Amino acid sequence: MISFIDTTQLILMILSVGLFISTLEYIKKIQIFAPNGLLSWNVMQLKWDKQDQKPLLKSFFKLFNESGLIVLFAIRCLLLVGLLFFPIQSVSGWILVSLLGLSLLISSLITYYGSDGSDQMNMLIIITLVVCHLPGVASTKLADLGLWFIGLQACLSYCVAGIAKLVSSEWRASTAVKDVFSTKTYGSQKATIFLQKYPAANVFLCWNVMIMETLFPLCLFLPWNYAVIFLIWGFTFHFFTAVIMGLNSFFWAFMATYPALYFINHQMPWHLF
Amino acid sequence: MIANLDSAVIYEFIVIAFLASWFLLTVLCQFKDTKFSEFIRYKVDLFGLIPLWTFFAPHPGKRDYHLLYRDKITEQAYSEWQEMDITEERTFWSWFWNPEKRDKKILSDVVQSLVSSIPYYKGENGNLNLLMFSMPYLIVLHAVSQCKQQSQHAYRQFMLAESSGYHKETEPALILLSVFHQI
Repeated sequence: MISFIDTTQLILMILSVGLFISTLEYIKKIQIFAPNGLLSWNVMQLKWDKQDQKPLLKSFFKLFNESGLIVLFAIRCLLLVGLLFFPIQSVSGWILVSLLGLSLLISSLITYYGSDGSDQMNMLIIITLVVCHLPGVASTKLADLGLWFIGLQACLSYCVAGIAKLVSSEWRASTAVKDVFSTKTYGSQKATIFLQKYPAANVFLCWNVMIMETLFPLCLFLPWNYAVIFLIWGFTFHFFTAVIMGLNSFFWAFMATYPALYFINHQMPWHLF
Repeated sequence: MIANLDSAVIYEFIVIAFLASWFLLTVLCQFKDTKFSEFIRYKVDLFGLIPLWTFFAPHPGKRDYHLLYRDKITEQAYSEWQEMDITEERTFWSWFWNPEKRDKKILSDVVQSLVSSIPYYKGENGNLNLLMFSMPYLIVLHAVSQCKQQSQHAYRQFMLAESSGYHKETEPALILLSVFHQI
């Protein structure tokens, strides 16, 4: 069994839980890739009208039917289970993570529509771990570099999301959360009723999200006792977006980056105070 | 030993350059309306490796999308509008297990892509009829054309509509009404 104390391994384990659930969800909804599904290859292949001449891509296209993708997703689940037994620092573990990355890259060719930021964060982490732990040339410096990259991408994601909200008149008017929660796609009836009853909650939630997301990179520079406030906020934020909005895969993908934030904070040569 | 050291150093340099470029590209592509960002996103980034981190901003998704279709059975007779079952409500366990989110996200992405391309096709040099050859239009048409037909040689029309979910005071609105397509 692998050790959970290692930062990289912890990232991989948290990510694996989310990816395992997400892959099983795709298997459950495999009919979206059927000839009559929303992402039928009969139509999606039109997107690759030029690239399909490339032999490498073309060979993957044969997988893009229900049975091919079921096999791909089943193999992905097996790879994720395998990661419980082989740490990424071992050759076997690295091969498993590489194959996992390959399966994500292949499926991304057909999930052009429907994939979200959590899928991108998963892919980003996996590829980073693969290139930073290549057997034979892997080093502590490269492993640390990978953690820095994952942590900085996480900070960038929160900060960009916060700034984009700050420049939005709908977010500043404190109507955005109420509007999103009122949809059946991302909201809930209970949340809608609650926000209609307590309008001040709209203001609090909108500004809370805008401020905390924008300032999130401070978690790298503050002393850990203060920095951890941002991580607790992030945990709470993702937990409630999973509960209220059904964005369960974001929870795992972004929690997987938090060990990297802890690592960077403790590597930082100076703090703000 | 020296050869090993050299290859390790060279590899380290390559990884540093790769990750730095990836991070820089991610930063630059957050400005999604620039030509550079569009070029990277649509021409270079085949695998979706450059994320756009502007979740629910600047315009939060505040509409539910609905996909409906009907058949022209004869010149005068049409079937009732049928809705494709996509925006079903979540269950208690959706915080942990939520496969339904994929259909909703696909339709949401397709509709947003369709809506954002309409001004281009309506523009000075555009032709709205060409919208019918666009990828999102074909995805929607293909999906509705696979639903059960009302007669053997039916012509099918689809409608994209939006509603404001639990806000009952706002009327649903039409986004796009297609022509009849032979299916």
